Amino acid sequence: MRWRRMAGVYRQYWRINILTTLEYRENFVVWFAFTFVYHGSSIAALWIVLSRFPSMNGWSFRDMAFLYALWMVAHALHNTLFSTVGEVPDHIRNGEFDRLLVRPLDTLFQAIATPGQVFPDELVLAIVTFVAATIYAGVHVDAMFLTFIPLIFIGGALIDLGINLIISTAAFWFVKVDALRWIFVQLEQEFTRYPVTIYTRGVRFVLTFVFPFAFMNYFPARYFLHKGMSGLGLPPVAGLLTPAIGIVFVALAYVFWRFGLNRYQGVGH
Amino acid sequence: MAIIEAADLRKVFRRIVRRPGIGGAVRALFSREYEDKIAVDGVNFTLAEGELVGYLGPNGAGKSTTIKILTGILVPTSGSVRVAGIVPYQRRQENAENIGVVFGQRSQLYWDLPLRESFELLRAIYDVPRNRYLENLAHFSAILDLERFLDTPVRQLSLGERMRGDFAAAMLHDPKIVYLDEPTIGLDVVAKEAIREFITRVNRERGTTVILTTHDLADVERLTPRVILIDEGRVIFDGALQRLRTEYGTHRTLVVTFAEAPTNIDVPGTEIESREGLVVRLRFDRRKLSAEAIIRRVMERYPISDVSIIEPDIDTIVRRIYVEGYQHGAVGAPS
Amino acid sequence: MTGAVEPRRRPRFRLEPYVEFARTAMAREATYRFDVFTTIGSFVVRVYLLRMVWTALYAHNAAPHELSRRAIITYSAVALLMGIVMDIDQTRALKDKLHDGSIATDFLKPIIVPFYFFADGTGEVLFHAVLLIPATLIALLIFHIIVPGPGVLAAFALSFLLGYLVGFFLNFILNCSAFWTLEISAVQLIVTWLTDLFGGELIPLILFPAFLQNFIYALPFAAMFSTPLLIYVGVIPPSRYFEVMGLQLVWIVGLAIVSTLMWRAGSRRIVVQGG
Repeated sequence: MRWRRMAGVYRQYWRINILTTLEYRENFVVWFAFTFVYHGSSIAALWIVLSRFPSMNGWSFRDMAFLYALWMVAHALHNTLFSTVGEVPDHIRNGEFDRLLVRPLDTLFQAIATPGQVFPDELVLAIVTFVAATIYAGVHVDAMFLTFIPLIFIGGALIDLGINLIISTAAFWFVKVDALRWIFVQLEQEFTRYPVTIYTRGVRFVLTFVFPFAFMNYFPARYFLHKGMSGLGLPPVAGLLTPAIGIVFVALAYVFWRFGLNRYQGVGH
Repeated sequence: MAIIEAADLRKVFRRIVRRPGIGGAVRALFSREYEDKIAVDGVNFTLAEGELVGYLGPNGAGKSTTIKILTGILVPTSGSVRVAGIVPYQRRQENAENIGVVFGQRSQLYWDLPLRESFELLRAIYDVPRNRYLENLAHFSAILDLERFLDTPVRQLSLGERMRGDFAAAMLHDPKIVYLDEPTIGLDVVAKEAIREFITRVNRERGTTVILTTHDLADVERLTPRVILIDEGRVIFDGALQRLRTEYGTHRTLVVTFAEAPTNIDVPGTEIESREGLVVRLRFDRRKLSAEAIIRRVMERYPISDVSIIEPDIDTIVRRIYVEGYQHGAVGAPS
Repeated sequence: MTGAVEPRRRPRFRLEPYVEFARTAMAREATYRFDVFTTIGSFVVRVYLLRMVWTALYAHNAAPHELSRRAIITYSAVALLMGIVMDIDQTRALKDKLHDGSIATDFLKPIIVPFYFFADGTGEVLFHAVLLIPATLIALLIFHIIVPGPGVLAAFALSFLLGYLVGFFLNFILNCSAFWTLEISAVQLIVTWLTDLFGGELIPLILFPAFLQNFIYALPFAAMFSTPLLIYVGVIPPSRYFEVMGLQLVWIVGLAIVSTLMWRAGSRRIVVQGG
């Protein structure tokens, strides 16, 4: 019964998102241009670097384009489904967060389903890019690929949600977490761009086991591009673990969220 | 039957002490000092089902902290609280089914969209059956005159219209209890009247229990037979508005217009409140002296051309309680 | 407005209010202690990342003759140091105030309004300039960046200042466009990304393919980052200082003229139409 209710809320949430986006059509165009430039300039930077240095630890521009596109879809999926979680710190600061606590639904679900201007434009762009990159990199598309790729995207989006949730939870303690979020957004984008073999052992460990960004794209790309070498002795098939990693990571982030929420209710703001 | 029971509620906040200036800010980078602030200090009260109560107090008295505890937003430091048989902070979601909340300064409506879309979302959140929802919507539209702007984006509504929308929004799921936090703040007279009418009718027709916090004592005079006064985290009066008036509104003001300017006004048992030309306001305690006796004393000494008596309004009474402090026993608060 | 528009009387110039604006803005920044740690932390992590990236690229490929591995790591570290100050939008308050409409009240105060916005952001710039001290120490001690001779260093400092002014006026123009259209945050972010790439903050412009070079130098971004950075690492020799800084100056003058025109037109809109 609870699930049916949540489904109803979620439907209405998307209805409001789309209506609001249509209300602000001009903004939508500008923000789409932003998304386009954001990813375009990243790919361009890779291309410029790799036109001067043809290989990065055995990865060509074609490989790196696939690596980027994998991350891009997972990230866009997160931005489409869960970006509203990032607004929680603002709501805590201006008192709107209390509204979530006087409604009969889970607070995290409500944080996810807070209507705003959300539109799946970035996701569409990402999927188009991914298809192009898959062809360009010459990845062998078979049943295995088609089965696992969607799961890997979902797992990657959950990893992003975990990070987003952890940062938003920090707002129960600190007034302003914008800088922290900005750093994570930047570092995630920069560290996921390159094969993790170029990093030192400590960084590889962090990207694999602490903030498991490497599971968003590096490990799956290594599997599908048949790059044998690993950094941490994980077999190539680790690339298919992304969904499981995503679920575990979000579960841990949710525990932290509940802990922060208890503090909020105990201490007030 | 008691629907809300609060016993010995206490809430202590820990606050960071901020030092002024750049030096202070730099020092705060490395160490922080804390101080405890007692927001609610042993509050007791019970509310019967269907009551309409005004919860009053100056800024920082602990009003909204109490409301936050009752709604399940905050966990009290100590004490017990039950709302419709539920401890709100332990079973927050269940408690939320029973309550409606209107924060006067914060709307729960979606700014960019027609009012109707917000209502639809709330219908989904509280899982109100479709026909019940339509019934309620029709009913509230009739009382609050929502029909006209149901399809207008909320950002284009006037404050009064938006507030009416917020009231309907809080009531769509037939809550047993409604908390209204400063619901009439900033509204014009007409809008206030519409809101007050709505509150009265919801309370009377649906038996909804209403707790109202407000600064506008006209709300209280018009709406709530019972008031709870809170100051510095403690309940200083709990009872009928009428009792507050008779027990604490003991002073009267006699406005005297003298026939000629008196050199020296001295009427035993009174003190001068103000003096403007020939008009002098004298304050007296009606428990010690009757109005008749005072008027006689004045007429014995001075030639006068007019005289009238002003009873204190509730605003004056409450203001005096806060300014002069509550004398224990004088008002009859539960000890 | 009713009646004839009276020429606005120029208030007598006093510096104190602007110093006060700057001071409060600086104190406001300092209250967010988290920012201090995140700014420094992010700087360290990003230099560390770029060092690994360049190291990997130099290890498996023939190195470009213009820049040694150490020089390019120095380049990245100094670029990120500059970013700590350069990435601030000093006149951001203008956009915010146009957005919420509170700018109208600023025109009622006895202050010169653009000076107010300049001062409001100055505190933040100074605060971040202070953060440069620990960040520079880290760059020297941990990343062992190259330190050029005093002459080059002085030229770099001057070019950095000029680069800052280019960025300042560019931001000011973008903020001024909020007089006409309110949703400019996205445009500003687009400009930020373009600056990162075409300003040479991420990749030295000399490593760009030849056909892109002309296009890049037709944009103001190179004057912000690339010029001071290439001076620092010695790719631009002293013989060309006059030419490259002259070009920076041309950008400043051009952008300043556009800024003035836009401010005039924009503020007239506010004064005449009342927002």
